[in-house]
Amino acid sequence: MKVRVQLYGTLSRRVPGYRHTQGIEIELPEGATVNELLAFLKIPESQGAVVTIDGRIQKAGDKISGGVHARVFQSVHGG
Amino acid sequence: MAGQVMPALGTAGLVAPVNSMGAFPSYNATKGVLEGWEKISGEAMAKLIQERGGNTTHVGCAQCIVHCSNEFVDRDGKYVTSSLEYETIWATGGMTGIDDLDTIARLDYLCDDIGVDTMSTGVAVAVAMDAGYREFGDRAAAIEMVEEIGKGTEFGKILGSGPAAVGKRFKHHRVPVVKGQSIAAYDPRAMLGNGVTFATSPMGADHTAGNVVGEYLEQKLDPLNAQGQVEASRNLQIATAAMDCTGLCFMAYVALGTPEAGGALLKAINAKFGTQLGPEDVPAMGIRVLNAEREFNKRAGFTNQDDRLPRFFYEEPLPPHNRVFTIGGEELDRTLDF
Repeated sequence: MKVRVQLYGTLSRRVPGYRHTQGIEIELPEGATVNELLAFLKIPESQGAVVTIDGRIQKAGDKISGGVHARVFQSVHGG
Repeated sequence: MAGQVMPALGTAGLVAPVNSMGAFPSYNATKGVLEGWEKISGEAMAKLIQERGGNTTHVGCAQCIVHCSNEFVDRDGKYVTSSLEYETIWATGGMTGIDDLDTIARLDYLCDDIGVDTMSTGVAVAVAMDAGYREFGDRAAAIEMVEEIGKGTEFGKILGSGPAAVGKRFKHHRVPVVKGQSIAAYDPRAMLGNGVTFATSPMGADHTAGNVVGEYLEQKLDPLNAQGQVEASRNLQIATAAMDCTGLCFMAYVALGTPEAGGALLKAINAKFGTQLGPEDVPAMGIRVLNAEREFNKRAGFTNQDDRLPRFFYEEPLPPHNRVFTIGGEELDRTLDF
């Protein structure tokens, strides 16, 4: 299944040639989880990655549907 | 990781996740997502500053290791203001419907120059726009309105007094304040725990009094489910009140949540003051502070009816989740009932 991914914070630096307006399209096996998405993107746990789909934060074990738009952030706050 | 993100984006790194969670109060808190938020995100700001030759980071405070500050420059690379922060970008951008960093930077400069708070001023402009005084998204109008504060015109005096004064002037019902203090960049309908903090903090709707956003980002709590929100707000209000006593920056005490860092801070405090404080003394200090603040408010005439959000948060659903604030008065009264 195809998933469109946009990367935020400093995560985009991990993907050479990343262009934010397009993001990247990746191919994952049907029923892949959020953890598997992060593993595919080679984002380690130390990056504190947070994934949102359709306005909701996804848990590590949540299954992803094909065709969705996932945004990946780093959990940093303050202000 | 915070050591990379904070110098790169500053607190503006929150524009993207909070919009993506539908919790970025926009157009005077009538929507939870600003159209065009990608143009004013921390990522967009950092790119713009870099392209123009400004500094995405600098040491804002002496001895700081976080470096969350930045220096925003104009098209010619000339310094405009420092630092553009998440809450400022929200109040002068999200709430006013202005998706332009140059306008936001100009508004930040004006607020600093005049000596008014960017959050209260941005929200005051938004309330005036919502009441029909000007259109949302009108960049020139927002700048002119804030300039009026500096000139001391009749309207400027009202605007400079904050959103509550503007709401009264226009007899407008949608005024996002508690105890006269503007809310911050987390809509209570899409982040219920922040609504609890806004309602119950003795300081009014203050995001530094017990910000629950970290609990949501770290998936400890569902922002739209009422369960656990009062407890989360209470615990964070206690911890924040205690940490505020140390004079440490908010950024530092987010890190102190770990046992290693919290233990190290206690050792430093005990070494400095010759005290024997243990981990249990920290919440006790926070509760003492909150009790003193609540007693002050009580003597000043505040009641539990002041520990409530404005009515529209309970009645007007916020897109895109289309939820209202669902935590009732009795539960709010439990928050700081020690």
